[in-house]
Amino acid sequence: MSQPSALSTNGLSRRKFMAGTVSAAAAAPLLTSTARAEAPTATQPTLRQPVVTSLRINKQAYELSLDTRTSLLDALRDHIGLTGTKKGCDHGQCGACTVLVDGKRVLSCLSFAVMNDGKDVTTIEGLASTDGKLHPMQQAFIDQDAFQCGYCTPGQIMSAIGCVNEGHADSENDIRDYMSGNICRCAAYPNIVAAILQARGETRGA
Amino acid sequence: MDAAAPKPKENQGEPLPRVDARLKVTGQAHYPADLPTANIAYGALATSSIARGKVTKLRLDDARAVPGLLDIVTYGDMDKVDKPKFGNSSATSVGPLHDRTIFHDGQIIALAVAETFEAAEEAAQLIRAEYDEEKPTASFDSPGTKTVAAAGKSPMFKEDVKAGDFDAAFAAAAVKIDQRYSTPTQHHNPIELFSTTAYWQGDQLVVHEPSQNVTGWKVELARQLKMDPAKVRIVSPFIGGAFGSKGPMTPRTAIVAVAAKRLGRPVRCVTSRMQAFGTQTYRAETRHRIRIGAGKDGRITAFAHEGWEVTSRPDLYVVGGTSATGRMYGYGSVLTHVSLVQADRNTPGYMRSPPETPYVYALENAMDEMAATLGMDPVEFRRINEPKTEPIGKKPFSSRSLIQCYDQAAEAFGWAKRDPKVGAMRDGDWLVGMGCATAIYPTAVAPCAARVRLTIDGDVRLQCGSHEIGTGVRTVAGQMASERLGVAIDRISVEMGDSSLPPAPVSGGSISTASVCSAVLKACDAIRTKLYAAATAEGGPLAGSHNEDFDLADGKIVAKSGASAKVEDVLKTMQVGAIEEYAEFAPKGATPEALKKLYAGTPEFHGGDQDEDSVKYAFGAEFVEVRVNRYTREIRVPRIVGAFAAGRIMNTRTARSQLMGGMIWGIGQALHEATEVDRRYARYVNRDLQDYLVPVNADIKDLQVILVPEVDHAVNPAGVKGLGELGNVGTAAAVASAVYHATGKRIRDLPIRIEQLLV
Repeated sequence: MSQPSALSTNGLSRRKFMAGTVSAAAAAPLLTSTARAEAPTATQPTLRQPVVTSLRINKQAYELSLDTRTSLLDALRDHIGLTGTKKGCDHGQCGACTVLVDGKRVLSCLSFAVMNDGKDVTTIEGLASTDGKLHPMQQAFIDQDAFQCGYCTPGQIMSAIGCVNEGHADSENDIRDYMSGNICRCAAYPNIVAAILQARGETRGA
Repeated sequence: MDAAAPKPKENQGEPLPRVDARLKVTGQAHYPADLPTANIAYGALATSSIARGKVTKLRLDDARAVPGLLDIVTYGDMDKVDKPKFGNSSATSVGPLHDRTIFHDGQIIALAVAETFEAAEEAAQLIRAEYDEEKPTASFDSPGTKTVAAAGKSPMFKEDVKAGDFDAAFAAAAVKIDQRYSTPTQHHNPIELFSTTAYWQGDQLVVHEPSQNVTGWKVELARQLKMDPAKVRIVSPFIGGAFGSKGPMTPRTAIVAVAAKRLGRPVRCVTSRMQAFGTQTYRAETRHRIRIGAGKDGRITAFAHEGWEVTSRPDLYVVGGTSATGRMYGYGSVLTHVSLVQADRNTPGYMRSPPETPYVYALENAMDEMAATLGMDPVEFRRINEPKTEPIGKKPFSSRSLIQCYDQAAEAFGWAKRDPKVGAMRDGDWLVGMGCATAIYPTAVAPCAARVRLTIDGDVRLQCGSHEIGTGVRTVAGQMASERLGVAIDRISVEMGDSSLPPAPVSGGSISTASVCSAVLKACDAIRTKLYAAATAEGGPLAGSHNEDFDLADGKIVAKSGASAKVEDVLKTMQVGAIEEYAEFAPKGATPEALKKLYAGTPEFHGGDQDEDSVKYAFGAEFVEVRVNRYTREIRVPRIVGAFAAGRIMNTRTARSQLMGGMIWGIGQALHEATEVDRRYARYVNRDLQDYLVPVNADIKDLQVILVPEVDHAVNPAGVKGLGELGNVGTAAAVASAVYHATGKRIRDLPIRIEQLLV
């Protein structure tokens, strides 16, 4: 197993990291003169060097050679082919990319893949048992019609499981508050609350 | 039964779970950017940072130096393809890389393509443009706008409807109001990002892109690329929310197709959330002046609705909701006028109930104010102005259950317990207000084709190039086949979202259920006819019976007499393994060109206000309770009830969900959604989901949908009125009405925010 080399991941969020590298480019459009801002300092070459990263996803081990800037979300989707986890904003604002890391809900777009080296990641594809039996939360989402287009649904379901396991599903108001990081543009919210109420007991025991 | 699955009433179908539900909860529903594609290269857009002027120079050296960069597509590289043509299949006429002219902020100036997403993003951010910049015009009241009348200037808008002598009637009216209203720029923000994946197989092009209009896009993309449409395929099996945003194709599609051709490998470009604000369409901001005159008895004698809408310089997009507002009530006289105000903005487009959301908001807010001015109950005010025929063409409504909707919603809401006095209802520190408004949406239908195959094993394969945008159209199409062929829903596979399937119209205008189900009905009935003929033929299992007494159930032909024959046995006597029917449905009144136009991606719409015999609309009534904090003026909507009548309901579960989502959209229109425009630079400011506010779970509490039974055979063979865009019409006015009731403040500019209630 290879170590994630040059980049220490301790306490380093993707947002802080990006701020240190491309913020000058991001800020440039705010200027209106024809003389543009100086070109930003080129990203340090070492950051582009692929790093071998070991991820454990849905109880299966993966070893990937990744650009260190690869988010956990893009690693799942583009490098492993687990496209159930969705990209809705890439900024941690919509919740569509929610996965469980060591059992806790995490926005996979705000987490570099290399930061998850050695951790246990669960995605929507890892919820149903191998015999095809759905997780109680998945079944409840079907029963309560807790989605329409279905795009935010994997994130809603992962977040709902996290919400129950955190102990934030005791009341409808709690559920509404602790599920408000997951936007559903089709607005299935009342049905999502109903689904969590239906599945919370079984989820706690799962 | 759970609230999610309402018990069907008369003319309402079973609340079957969605046929694709399991795929959606297991991550196996593949949206276009999920479809596995080998050896893919990643594209990232670079966009303009000015709203008006010319690109004088592009500096690409830094971008080209990024390791892994493969190509940059920019000016000159699109010269061999045609520019987009503005229309239902194309969002704009601007070919951003055909011309160095900048028409709006965020216009595409280049596409960087690289081995990885990270490298493509890095390269795109390093592309530097130099501009010859001109001062842009942002919106209403900015210097440099150009105002034109909509009628006659755009094929989208035929006429300013009118009736009688408004001026005289208004002058003579005993009670009148004359007020102005406004609605802001709004962006659809479906949670699925906009994306294009393109690859070539020889001279054939395949595009994976979320689309509400695969047939229209196939034809338009082929036109741009100067190809035979038969060699272009658009694939969009699941769509992650659309709301109109994925109806017209944007210029990105052809650019990515060209990049894939240059590179000789698949290219995927996922637009960032920020870039979507400038590269996709949006709901235009609108302004309204409404005048209503009435007698002291509350009967309206005069109604005038003038609207102004922002559009782009190159394209005259029209919102134009006066056709519906002008026909809503029994006004004695009607005067309307719609004007377009051109500014340096990207071209607006369809967004859920495009005309009705802003125009009916203005009308209904005015109706509430008029009721208050008359000292009448707002429900009674609507009741006494209920028309026998619509006021413009004096045609009857094919059906109109508005009063039933008001009565049922009012009872469920407890309207009778409302103290009509403004500010009279309190709960601790909260001022309580209750309001209501009417929802209306035209019932249209378009030609549609479908292929249905019934096999000897009892399986059904249904193919139709419509689009599953979350409406449940796959499910209701399957339900129609299930009912007509007597086959259980789990034996039916439904294929949609691919331009190689039989063509369906754009999934817009709430036409899909009516159009698709009418085509499926026709195909299934053709199968029934063949089965019955074979069964009753000499030597057939039901020889001698009359086939008008037949039905299909549980894999059998069942006669009224009780005799029955297995479908399997009938197919055996026919010596076939399957019956397959390809049906083309054309609505009543369709022109001889109607089906040709369906294949050409330019389907005719019928119904609404277009038909000779009657006008066709679905109606609803919404009641809202708001609570306004007496100190902070924070506004909450703890309760909302909507009752809707929309002809035959195919599936009470999916219908309720769509109406519920619509009502929540309406709450968002009222209290949250607005794209802020920096007036100095004609630039959108809040281009993400942190600052563009949409309702979240905590914003919604008690919500009730009532499906009012209604039968309407005139609308289409399926008897279905669309309802996907009904629920969010009128809601914002109901909220404004409730805010007035709570606070005495009449807010006419959306969204209603705390600051408007502080002054």
